[in-house]
Amino acid sequence: MTPPGIVIAGLGLRFAGESLFEDLNLTLPAGEFSVLLGPSGVGKTSLLRIIAGLEAPSAGQVCADDGAPLAGRVAYMAQQDLLLPWAEARENVMLGAALRGETRDRARAEALLHSVGLSHRLRALPATLSGGERQRVALARTLYENRPVVLMDEPFSALDAISRARIQDLAAELLGGRTVLLITHDPLEACRLGHHLWVLAGSPAALGPPLTVPGTPPRAPDDDAMLHRQGELLRRLTGLRPA
Amino acid sequence: MTKTIERIAPFAFGLAALGFWQGLVWALGVPSYVLPGPIAIIQAYLDDHAVLDSALLSTLSVTVAALLGATIIGVALAVAMAASRLFRAAIQPWAVILQVTPVVAIAPFIIIWVNQPFLALVVCAVIVAFFPILSSTAAGLAATPPELQDLFRLNGATRWQTLILLSLPSALPSFLTGLRVSGTLALVGAVVAEFVAGSGGFASGLAYRIIEASYRLEIPRMFAALVLLGLSGIVIYTALGWLEAVLLHRRDGA
Repeated sequence: MTPPGIVIAGLGLRFAGESLFEDLNLTLPAGEFSVLLGPSGVGKTSLLRIIAGLEAPSAGQVCADDGAPLAGRVAYMAQQDLLLPWAEARENVMLGAALRGETRDRARAEALLHSVGLSHRLRALPATLSGGERQRVALARTLYENRPVVLMDEPFSALDAISRARIQDLAAELLGGRTVLLITHDPLEACRLGHHLWVLAGSPAALGPPLTVPGTPPRAPDDDAMLHRQGELLRRLTGLRPA
Repeated sequence: MTKTIERIAPFAFGLAALGFWQGLVWALGVPSYVLPGPIAIIQAYLDDHAVLDSALLSTLSVTVAALLGATIIGVALAVAMAASRLFRAAIQPWAVILQVTPVVAIAPFIIIWVNQPFLALVVCAVIVAFFPILSSTAAGLAATPPELQDLFRLNGATRWQTLILLSLPSALPSFLTGLRVSGTLALVGAVVAEFVAGSGGFASGLAYRIIEASYRLEIPRMFAALVLLGLSGIVIYTALGWLEAVLLHRRDGA
């Protein structure tokens, strides 16, 4: 499974007569963690949904750089955990396989729940789990899918800072080697996890020049270079003046 | 402590009210053909309990059969309406028309058309009872979380899978709310149908016994039948509430 890069070419999206973005061009490098930031309502989620194939663009296209179709190679993790409330954690992890009519690999589901630290909650219903635990089940499900491309839409934003930092480490470790696009509002999260950062802003929205962060993710939360980048990123996002 | 008091409160209030009623009847010497006291009512029930019990059983069987029928029809129509916008557009106004037409006005026709007395009563009660199940189940199905629908789409789920594994379970709370309303309405429908059918000469339910007792001026017996109806309503409502709690607890574990 060599993950493909993703080429976004001339992408445009109009919504109710208004142009969300026009002629958007972006290449997500294969096997690396890309992060997309930007103000609310700028069209980040729409972009992610277009890549996932859940929405059709008004113009342009999204394709994999190896020429094969993207459909069936994408796993999607949303801001909400999207667990079925009436299914046990283990069943939720295997949901995709059940829906596609594949044989469910219970041992692998359990191993993944173990790797996200939930081996004691295999059969728990979502309502009995904490927010952080639910999001870890969702992460285990994303990993169970074992897709080369992973799209994540603010998956950790509802968690407290400590749970978030822990699950970020897990995500970086377990998703390493895949082509990942992460949407986030959190500059710290972006700088800890991302190889490449982009800021989407304006109306119609356009991408700023990419930022790279030195070092391998997950970067330590007190890494100086990382903290410097974080500051720079926050400045770009807010339009504040440099120090 | 306050919880215990709250639990006892309706019984204490009921007993106090009954005591006041009985006291008033005694003190003012009200004759029982005008207003019987609770003791006379209980006595009337004990004197005639074989007839009243079989009447209760008759009314309850109509109610239960009607509730089952209403559930099947209501859920089936709601699923069809959720699956097809055309079907929804075609059906919705007719469901509303059926709902707003008083069953007292429809019942005579049904009693003429449906020969089997039990079935005729059930049909009337279904007409009264199915609408809350239909509308609340339809609302529940329509409120299936769109993000979860996306997840199912992304995994290539069929419409059937989406219905069985996602839409129906997520509509369960709304369905149960509708069921609770429909349960008491089925009783109301059964009683109304019996009132209409009673004059046609077939029926042996509680409503029929109320009419019969009123013709004979057996006012305590009228009250006894009425009390049985009221208790049945409470039992149905409570039982469905309990069913709701059990099913939702089993679904969500909390």
